[in-house]
Amino acid sequence: MDLQTEVVIIGGGATGTGIARDLALRGIPSLLVEKGDFTSGASGRNQGLLHSGGRYAVNDPDAARECITENRILRRIAPHCIEPTDGLFVSLPEDGPEYRADFIRACGAAGIDTLPLSPREALSMEPRLNPRIIGAVQVPDGAIDPFTLVVENARDAESRGARMLIHTEVTDLIRDGLRIAGVRVRDRITAEAFAIAATWVINATGAWANHILRMAGLQIGLALSKGSMLITNTRLSERVLNRCHPPSSGDIIVPNDTVSILGTTSLRAEDPEHYEVTPEEVTFLVDELSRMIPDLKGERFTRAYAGVRPLLQLEETGDDRSISRGFALIDHGSCSGPAGLVTITGGKLMTYRLMAEKTVDFICERMGLHVPCSTHVQRLPGAGQGHTLKDRLLRLRRQTPSAKGEILCDCELVPREAVDAILREGKVRELQDILHRTRLAKGTCQGGFCVYRLLGLLNERHKADHRGGSNLILKAFLEERWKGIRPVLWGTSLKEEELIESIYKGLFNLTPAEPGRPGGGEA
Amino acid sequence: MTKEEKPGPLTKLPDVCVRCATCMTACPVSRVTPRFPGPKQAGPGAQRFRSAAEASVDDWIELCTGCRLCDTVCPAGVPISEMNMMAKAKYLDERGRTFRDWLLVRSDLFGEMAARYSKIVNPLMKKKAVRWLLDALLRIDRRRALPAYEYPTFRRWFRTRQAPEGGGPEVAYFYGCFTNTNETDVGKAAVEIMEAHGLTVVVPPQRCCGIPRLGVGDLHGAREMGRRNVDSLLKTVRGLDIVFSSTSCGLMLRHEYGPLLHLPGAEELALRLFDICEYLLRLREEGKPAATFQPIPMKAAYFAPCHLRSLDIGLPALELLRLVPGLDVSMIEAECCGLGGLYGFKKEKFAIAEEIGKDLAEAVARMKPDIILTDCEGCRMQIRHLTGLRVLHPVQLLRDALERRGTA
Amino acid sequence: MKRFDLIVIGTGLAGLTAARTAIGMGAKVLIVGRGMGALTLFGNTVDLLGEIPPETEMAEGITHWIAAHPEHPYARTGWEGIESAVAAFRELFPPPYPFAAPGRGNSLLPTGAGTMRPTWLTPITMAAGAAMTPAETLIVGFRGFKDFQGDTVSLHLKCRGVILPLPRYGLEGLTAPALARLMDETSFRERLGESIRQQMAGERFIGLPAILGLRDPAAVLKTLETITGARVFEIPMLPPSIPGTRIFHRFREELIAKGATFRMGHPVSGAIIKDGRCEGINIDNPPLVAEYRADRFILATGRFMGGGLWAEMDRIIEPVFDIPVFQPGERGNWFGERFFDPEAHPIHRAGVVTDADLRPVDAAGRVVLANVRAAGSILAHHQAIEEKSREGIDIATGFLAAKRALAS
Repeated sequence: MDLQTEVVIIGGGATGTGIARDLALRGIPSLLVEKGDFTSGASGRNQGLLHSGGRYAVNDPDAARECITENRILRRIAPHCIEPTDGLFVSLPEDGPEYRADFIRACGAAGIDTLPLSPREALSMEPRLNPRIIGAVQVPDGAIDPFTLVVENARDAESRGARMLIHTEVTDLIRDGLRIAGVRVRDRITAEAFAIAATWVINATGAWANHILRMAGLQIGLALSKGSMLITNTRLSERVLNRCHPPSSGDIIVPNDTVSILGTTSLRAEDPEHYEVTPEEVTFLVDELSRMIPDLKGERFTRAYAGVRPLLQLEETGDDRSISRGFALIDHGSCSGPAGLVTITGGKLMTYRLMAEKTVDFICERMGLHVPCSTHVQRLPGAGQGHTLKDRLLRLRRQTPSAKGEILCDCELVPREAVDAILREGKVRELQDILHRTRLAKGTCQGGFCVYRLLGLLNERHKADHRGGSNLILKAFLEERWKGIRPVLWGTSLKEEELIESIYKGLFNLTPAEPGRPGGGEA
Repeated sequence: MTKEEKPGPLTKLPDVCVRCATCMTACPVSRVTPRFPGPKQAGPGAQRFRSAAEASVDDWIELCTGCRLCDTVCPAGVPISEMNMMAKAKYLDERGRTFRDWLLVRSDLFGEMAARYSKIVNPLMKKKAVRWLLDALLRIDRRRALPAYEYPTFRRWFRTRQAPEGGGPEVAYFYGCFTNTNETDVGKAAVEIMEAHGLTVVVPPQRCCGIPRLGVGDLHGAREMGRRNVDSLLKTVRGLDIVFSSTSCGLMLRHEYGPLLHLPGAEELALRLFDICEYLLRLREEGKPAATFQPIPMKAAYFAPCHLRSLDIGLPALELLRLVPGLDVSMIEAECCGLGGLYGFKKEKFAIAEEIGKDLAEAVARMKPDIILTDCEGCRMQIRHLTGLRVLHPVQLLRDALERRGTA
Repeated sequence: MKRFDLIVIGTGLAGLTAARTAIGMGAKVLIVGRGMGALTLFGNTVDLLGEIPPETEMAEGITHWIAAHPEHPYARTGWEGIESAVAAFRELFPPPYPFAAPGRGNSLLPTGAGTMRPTWLTPITMAAGAAMTPAETLIVGFRGFKDFQGDTVSLHLKCRGVILPLPRYGLEGLTAPALARLMDETSFRERLGESIRQQMAGERFIGLPAILGLRDPAAVLKTLETITGARVFEIPMLPPSIPGTRIFHRFREELIAKGATFRMGHPVSGAIIKDGRCEGINIDNPPLVAEYRADRFILATGRFMGGGLWAEMDRIIEPVFDIPVFQPGERGNWFGERFFDPEAHPIHRAGVVTDADLRPVDAAGRVVLANVRAAGSILAHHQAIEEKSREGIDIATGFLAAKRALAS
């Protein structure tokens, strides 16, 4: 099965799907390949923060201006992916009043609205804040759901003719003389290999950019920075909380849906695939963020995770935070590489749309097309759909037999119908794909109860891959879950873990043994 | 929201829940209807979705009877029923309460009056037309027998009676509204049994404990009732122990005035409060003068009310009843009678209350007792309604054992 | 303040066993639990030691195994201790709902994940699961009942499976306790039995989720077997566990009938220690703290889930007596890198170390409190989850602790 298209996009993160949507809106055929599921990379592993730009206002005014512009656009085109919580920049005594004054001035210059608050005002808005704060400034920060954002970009692009292949990995670039003429790919589930011919290949793989470029003998200056985050069981605050000081590690708390996300660390990483959250990082985050929320140590953490940021390395400085978080669009053909290959990397979730716009502008220019970008005005398809916590709570209402079926995930109130709808679409290929598209398994027990139920539903629909039975999928899920849970196992989370282990290893007798081995549990 | 109502600490409470589902085995409501999502979901589960700033949407929270059994089984110490109570209060504060609820929680106010005219009121309340009207206009279910009023009230009886030659240590008695106007014999029995234990009973001024108001999430109203009771009880009986014969009133006075309602003085009061059977048993264990019981050859079934379980004082009534020679008493293996105070009178909840009660009725049917004993007036009403058997407060039978009056 | 011969802390299987053993020896017993204990979560069958192969005779297998595991709690009880404790457990469950070992060694029973699981004693409602063969078995799940996924079970067991709508209750979201309650109704289970019969294609066994009634499971089993003509068995599923709730109820009924004082719902907040002995405990029921005194104490508070152990960020503590806890190094070492590590996670070995008399000792082997014994899963050096020894450890050590305590 060989395919042909105008543009091949490698990478199913925010940038890649954003490019696919932009191309589709401008009538250019494209095909996106992603080796995992959408949002498998940094797009799904960030803090879910809709920046106002405040964080960059003092040190990087250009980035701040970009942020506030995109912030306003995203609120317009993707309101259903955004919680307009606002954010506070909180000054502790050690942060001093000077930075706060600089901050307000810099925000003003960047066009970011600020509302200075007295300690008393801030504490009445966010009672768990450190009572020793000397002031706070409110800015239009918010929370963003990157999963929905990316999946909707993809869905909209598809509805306009773009094609998407997930779990499909690029194995090589096809060369035609001095040009790159497409990619060779392999389906990671069926192992089927095929080629996709294209006029343009866009490398939107973020931290994996050099991995693709190596296939063409190329390399760009890219540093990888691991950022680790912690998730709490409940929301700690109603607003984003930032420290009002020069950007540093462990200084942001983002309320996100039912939980809060605490971050981040910034450690140099070598490999975008293999990294873990260390106990030291967990202790550091808890200690550091306890300055903003003093009783944080008693909080229940349900999970830790990390993402790898691609940072453009213009010169070595040693500190990753001072490396620009701006993005670069590189036309390899114009800098002694093969023609037809473009890399877009660096940047951040906030600027994904802008990155896509610039990339597609470039492609259009080369193709001689004069179609303006419209992603800043065209709303995403799901815009207008309610998805507030209140709406979800209403799912518990069972006055009459409901068509939505039983609630599979008690913690996050995900009904059977939500999964059925995803299965009906026919796009998901494995368990994690379903989990990416719902809040299933993202709550208190982290899937301990609901994934068993989900697999039952899949078995019922014969959608599970039955090579070896769905318990292999269940065990794989429990292993994946373990990566996030292990770093935070103490206190109540450890109790939860004992419960879940008692269910799966005790009650259900799932064991490390391969199926068929005597005593291995699997019948 | 006043300062004392701030739900501050509640924001952390869902955290200790590990979703283990133990509470699901105890909840009487979710066991009979899927309309109530059960303690785990309604309490810590839903709490993660609630915001103080947003309007409440969880109307099903009204289906919680407030039995508190979930609290007693939770291995993690999640205050589930309190969470439900706060959610119910918020929901009903926003939506407003019905005239019926307004009226029912004030039964203490018209109780004295109704008792005074019980000869007119009682037959009236049995009239089909009246019940039909109450049902249609107020949604008070016509299938539920309304308790009859008695006159003289307990209070009046106590004031006007010839008090025995006393001299023993004084003890105060909190009788509760229902004893006062609807089941005066419970109060009389309580007084007599205490006197038989060498105590001199005093009855301090008191009002409704306020638990009916908690039932409709009226924290403000409950606090008002509580404040007056704390003031009056502390002032008039300072230094005395206070016993209660209604486990629901007792739970309210002892454990809700302080931890839930934050009433000043509640803690001092709580230290003085005792369930009547708990108190008598303690006297006996301490070797204080105790009454002896005459044989009552009878088969009795004892039911432990939910609020007694929540008081968590063991089963003192059962221990006392076992001291009555000839009395063959065993526990009714059922979790809840279903009435839930005023809950079971409400038309929209009548069916749930009946369904919960069915388990108890069947357990009783298997035991074939002559008599049923239970400490809570609500349970007594419901068990009479369900079984048609004679249902007494344990102190009534104990009193009968004193006097050889013959209960059979 | 009440005085007892023995106070048992913990209402799981270990605590219940200890209390019952002591009551049987004529002691005055108080049993206190913060909540209901793990029986309602995982109690189904009685595991002794799953890793003994089914073909090995149990007495022989465990005796050999103990020799190789001298630190294990079973090394304290020996096979004889296990045997007599289990025999006592069985006496509590006479027909029609007996527990029995289907074979001379472990039997393999199907689970809700469609796996087979080794166990020792099964209740009568699960017994046929040990005899079933895939070709002759029909697995029945219920539409909307999410805690038992019938298709997962049938797929893995390679049986035929059907998912049936529930008679009468078309509503989804029904919980296990609700379903078990319906099964106690004759007409409901008859209709269900009939709808199962219509799905049968000559099967000799029928596997159902473990919801065959709370009150009279044997009657439910009989009805279904009569209607279908097949042997019916329950399959353990996600918590809450109905079979475990039956065990709990049976113990509670027995303990109360025999005069034990049963307290549940509030944590032990402190201990009164004097001269290396525990003199009493405090139970926290805000705003009150109740004090209970006794000559002996048994600590059977379970592991982390039950609150017997608590992990801070850097160490593991025992909250009641602050007994030293054996722990495997720092937090980073508590758990293996993979969930399914070939070895059990090191933290599972953590717990209270005791002398031969089940008295907790410190790192130097000195007895910490002369009149306190520990029983059940709080003990160190077992891996109940992996070993499948949860109930065996609870019953054997609970039994032994009570015997030793009262002998002292």
